[in-house]
Amino acid sequence: MNPFWSMSTNAGRKRSDSEEQSGQGEQRSSPARPPLGKKQLPSIPKNAVPITKAASPASSTQSANGTHASYGPFYLEYSLLAEFTLVIKQKLPGIYVQPSYRSALMWFGVIFIRHGLYQDGVFKFTVYIPDNYPDGDCPRVVFDTPVFHPLVDPVSGELDVRRAFTKWRRNHNHIWQVLMYARTIFYKINTMDPLNPEAAVLYDKDIQLFKSKVVDNVKLCNSHLFDQPKMDDPYAISFSPWNPVVHEEAKEKMFAHKRWPEDYKGLPVSGLSWVKTGSTQPFSKEDNPLQT
Amino acid sequence: MSWLSRLNPRAQGTRTSRHAAPSSPCTADPETCLMVFQNHWRQVSGVLKQRESSVGGSADDLTAVRNHTDQMLCLLAEERPAEGDGESPAMGPILEMVEAENILEVLVQWHVRRGLDPDSQLELLKLFEMLIGQSHQPLLLHSAVLQPLLCLLGACLDPQLGCPTALESSLVLLLNQVCVSMAKQTAVLELLFRCGSVQQGPTNLLIFSLLVPFIHRDGALGQQARDALLLVMATSASNHAVARHIAENSYFCPVLATGLSGLYSTLPRKIEVRGDDWHALRREDWIGVSSLVLFMNSLEFCNAVVQVAHPLVRCQLLDYLHNGFLVPVMGPALHKSSVDEMIASTAYLDLFLRSITETSLLKTFLRFILLHRHDNDTILDTLLTRISSNSRLCMVSLSLFKTLLSLNCEDLMLQLVLRYLLPCTHVMLSQRRAVRETDLYGKSADKFLSLIPECCRITAMPSSELDEEPAFWGKVLGSPTTESPVHPRPSTPSRLALFIRQQSSGVPANPSSGSEDTPSSPRGSISSPLSPDSPMHQLLDASEGETGYLEYLHDARRGIELCYWACRDWSAPYDGENPSPNSAPPPPPPPTSNPSLNMVKEHFSLTDASQQRAAVMATAHAEWSSSEQDSGEWDVTINKNCISLTPRSKKRSLLPSSKPLQSSLSSSSVSTEKTGAMETVSQHSYSTPHPALYNGMGQVEFADTVDERMKVKKVKRETDINSEVAESVQNGSVVMGPIDASLPYNDFNVGSKLKSSQVQMNPQPQTTLPSTSQECLQSDGQGSSSVPGLTETSSVTSDRRGHESVERLIEELLERAPSLSGDFKCQGISIEAFHQELRELEERVRERKVLSHSFEESCRDFRTAAPSLTDEDSLPVEIEQRSSETKPESSTTGVFSPTRLLGQPLAQPYTGPFITVLFSKLENMMQNSLYVNILLTGVVFQLACYPQPLVRSFLLNTNMVFQPSVKSLIQVLGSVKNRIEVFAAAHEDFPAMLRKAHRFLVARGKLDSIDSPMGAPNLRRSDSSIKSRKPSLGDLILRHTNSPTRARHAAQLALAHVRDGGQSLHSALFRGGKGGGASGLEKQAEALRVKNAVYCAVIFSEFLKELAALAQEHAVALPFPPSQGIEE
Repeated sequence: MNPFWSMSTNAGRKRSDSEEQSGQGEQRSSPARPPLGKKQLPSIPKNAVPITKAASPASSTQSANGTHASYGPFYLEYSLLAEFTLVIKQKLPGIYVQPSYRSALMWFGVIFIRHGLYQDGVFKFTVYIPDNYPDGDCPRVVFDTPVFHPLVDPVSGELDVRRAFTKWRRNHNHIWQVLMYARTIFYKINTMDPLNPEAAVLYDKDIQLFKSKVVDNVKLCNSHLFDQPKMDDPYAISFSPWNPVVHEEAKEKMFAHKRWPEDYKGLPVSGLSWVKTGSTQPFSKEDNPLQT
Repeated sequence: MSWLSRLNPRAQGTRTSRHAAPSSPCTADPETCLMVFQNHWRQVSGVLKQRESSVGGSADDLTAVRNHTDQMLCLLAEERPAEGDGESPAMGPILEMVEAENILEVLVQWHVRRGLDPDSQLELLKLFEMLIGQSHQPLLLHSAVLQPLLCLLGACLDPQLGCPTALESSLVLLLNQVCVSMAKQTAVLELLFRCGSVQQGPTNLLIFSLLVPFIHRDGALGQQARDALLLVMATSASNHAVARHIAENSYFCPVLATGLSGLYSTLPRKIEVRGDDWHALRREDWIGVSSLVLFMNSLEFCNAVVQVAHPLVRCQLLDYLHNGFLVPVMGPALHKSSVDEMIASTAYLDLFLRSITETSLLKTFLRFILLHRHDNDTILDTLLTRISSNSRLCMVSLSLFKTLLSLNCEDLMLQLVLRYLLPCTHVMLSQRRAVRETDLYGKSADKFLSLIPECCRITAMPSSELDEEPAFWGKVLGSPTTESPVHPRPSTPSRLALFIRQQSSGVPANPSSGSEDTPSSPRGSISSPLSPDSPMHQLLDASEGETGYLEYLHDARRGIELCYWACRDWSAPYDGENPSPNSAPPPPPPPTSNPSLNMVKEHFSLTDASQQRAAVMATAHAEWSSSEQDSGEWDVTINKNCISLTPRSKKRSLLPSSKPLQSSLSSSSVSTEKTGAMETVSQHSYSTPHPALYNGMGQVEFADTVDERMKVKKVKRETDINSEVAESVQNGSVVMGPIDASLPYNDFNVGSKLKSSQVQMNPQPQTTLPSTSQECLQSDGQGSSSVPGLTETSSVTSDRRGHESVERLIEELLERAPSLSGDFKCQGISIEAFHQELRELEERVRERKVLSHSFEESCRDFRTAAPSLTDEDSLPVEIEQRSSETKPESSTTGVFSPTRLLGQPLAQPYTGPFITVLFSKLENMMQNSLYVNILLTGVVFQLACYPQPLVRSFLLNTNMVFQPSVKSLIQVLGSVKNRIEVFAAAHEDFPAMLRKAHRFLVARGKLDSIDSPMGAPNLRRSDSSIKSRKPSLGDLILRHTNSPTRARHAAQLALAHVRDGGQSLHSALFRGGKGGGASGLEKQAEALRVKNAVYCAVIFSEFLKELAALAQEHAVALPFPPSQGIEE
């Protein structure tokens, strides 16, 4: 039932591209966007205004609890799905997430640290998304085993996400940014206002001791890697020792996989285009002999 | 490749039985066979030698030679190759002997010298065919076989006459066999080629030259010839010399291309239309039309040749197809003036495009459509304008565009939509970045859904009706009783299925359940265990009834995914940055943007408009006269006292006989008299405002006028249309009359009357004679230019009189029609046709009014104000608001904006003719027929599947702020919503009618889904994707019921409901009669209006759900990587 995760497979696969991307990732986490939300004109065109006004009392109640509020779950689900799609598109280095089977508001994740103080760390975590998303607080990130880190609560394992997202703004903040942030803290350590003062003090005062504590912590975390997932959920991420019978095959499938549309039969082999790149003229591309 | 696979050696069965070898030599040992062979040969040689000495020779000789030859060749054919050294088996002893003594050559030469009579020629052809078809050895590799064969074939090629008919089938069969064995031993091609060049000179590929004349034959013969040629093509694909020979020295390509032209000219000019919903040729439609079958065979062959041939040949063929078929034949055909021909040629083009599979052939067609100019317009432009026409032509055109859109061709999309959006001038500067945003939080979806009119949300149904509803009905209605949500299947929740899809196999899917089917089993997600504290829990409970929406989501996802897939190799993302808006060349302006011509244009546009309307009417008539109208339509029987509707059956066959009548009877005296009479009437109507006419009816035409104005049409073409119009109109007049064609012509001709009243100064009746059309055009122009003056003087007339004038007109029509006044019972009258005419009438009345009042003024105003943009921008809105204050039901607003009327200056953003015409058609949804709306929303849906942010944001991002002059989809939909609500408010039994319409559509959808698995036509792309659909409410917007039988079934199935509906429509009318003397006919027109409006309400609601689903699915779609890395 449970999906099998093989540490070695995933780590090996992702390593190459993750290194390239780690540089850009930092900038991406805080994209500069124009404040579109504020300057928006009424979305209803002028000539339609009388209509909506006439019907507005009704429709406003309706959107609250009427027929059309019943589309609500679709919105929430799709919003989360869209967030998840964004995560996939970002190709975050070393981070894997998987929404829970039971609720789209809970995502299981694991992060692989490839270098730095926390090198070789494999930290499982869970993302909790508030149910009034996207209008609520920022999502919470809780490590399964508390990581020894200034910004991680030593007891609960919760990461201090809020310092990076003081106010969660829809359209501007996305869950992939939270994940990105969760990765960044392991490479750029911040000791201001720590949740774990001991770690913060050690980092500032006795980096050697800090390092050794981190190494111990990493070892501890990795020793719990094969534990059963904390959450009893079919989609919880669980690790198992490398088993060629199971994992070889899965690995091959993974590498060989090509995504196709749901039913792509009868589609042309490739999309039709004779437009030369950079041109906007139809049929500007040279005839290529490839069209056989 | 089906072509090649068909070419299995076909002779075995038939041949062996006939030529059952004498003594079953395969069992005999080679030695014996050789001895027998030698024996035969000895005897034959005897005869031959004898012949040499004595000239003439007897019939006995011939028979003897034949018999022996028969035996010998059978033996040769049956001989197995001897065990040779390694790869090349040695020749069998017989073959060795044949070669040593050159036996076949001697034989053939003997026949030739003797003078080949057809009989022995035939015999020889058959023998060789048997030999080559059945031989176990590669005979053709030996010149002792090849040379005599070529010699024989050469003898069949009469320089003057070609091949004698009697020999044709045997010859083609032989050639086919030769090609089959050539395909097995490619070396044969080389041999044939070299041998040929020695003997035949220029036509050195003899088999080829012999086959070419049979390319376009029908039946088995043509098929064999094409198969054989295709084998030559495939074999020569890698042989440059042969390919060059074919390209340079043979007539293959020209024959193929011009042959298509010839075949095209034999196609029916007019498609006999079955069913109202017919809009495209499907296999079952054309398989019975022999000329079309022939054409399609040849087209298929072209496609196959393009697929397998050497690039040289392919390029030449494509070139010839473009210059020898598309440009000289297809181009003019598409520009034919008669509506029937337009319909036919558009449907043909659609069919061709759907049938072609080869990319480069498709490219040739698309290049033709996009770039070729016929009379200054590209084919695309011309086709676009057709969408704005009425009924059938519109439907066929929409269907064509649906096909085009389904190609996912970048070049096409660029010309059609993208080039207008590329400069990003349609959005506010500050919004440009938002182009790429998707509907992350469902805001746009919410917006679309909020436009579902209140009156269309059927909340509660009488329980009695509930039971008979289809199962899926309840999903949308939100009636929990119809389906219990108990679905114990522990399948993956749908949303997680989505996740799985996106994660690909990185996370293996829940192995216990196939995630494939989850999207269609939404209930799984609802009943799936949720943690009690999850917010999803409560929300999902509330949404239980909305599973119909899930179907839409599923459809939308599939559509978008396929589109993403198909567009993955496009040159640019079209996201507002790449290609850069600044580097994009300015798109072509709207067609009427030449300011200096404004005034003139306006006059022209008037004429255009009237002509177009007439043309539109003609379309309607043509359709009526050509269709059997038996698919859920109604025969309306009018008596003085009551109107009864009866379901239409096949009984009506309309009036092909009307034509001879009209020429003899359209005497000018009658017509001028009529014209005079009409003039007085219509003069009243010009000036009289008639508020009742404002809503609804005239809309379509009005939109047409606007759109027409945007067309730049050649005068000549208009003239053609004009004359054509008259013709069709006269046809139409008979529709009004009794069914038997004995009706005297002069009594009633609405069409020409309308015409003549429009063109007041027209001294001549509008006859069908082309010679008068020039004149008509002139007077048309004069007539309309004189309108303002005329109306100004008479604009004082009151409302009341205006009302009367229309009624008088109708009365008059009624009285004039002998069928109505004289014979009261059972006159079949086609409500739509009449409705058309009535609408024309009202439209004209209203238009004159508009002309005389605001329009005239605004024209004057605008002539001066035109250069200043800002004024113009605000104007349409003002007018709209004003009109909506005074007459809330006025729906003219959106379309009728003086700004557009005068043409937009270049600087103004223009989203292109395609968007414009789609939007104006959408705006008139209330007046469109059901089928037009189904197609129309389908086209918009398909367009909205495109993932390019420019397209997506323009159509689906409801938060985008556009320039004021740019109309957005949401605006258009808003105005439709408005109209529906006004309409619903005015009809108290709207809910009941709505339910009935709903039920009809559901029944139709169900039927279709039952129908589709079997006998689904194999039209690739468009149809294949649809098959997999499950019956759902999504099928309400069923875009593929174009099968006549299917429509008929649906009609029968749903007839009862509709009849109820129809009657209630009527009773509603009667009850709500607006006092006064509204005539019966007016009521019928009203009934049709009601019917269209009610259907529209259903379609509109479903369409909004589709759009909402699209907006949501776009947010979660993942692009596909370009195919470069992937093997093709």
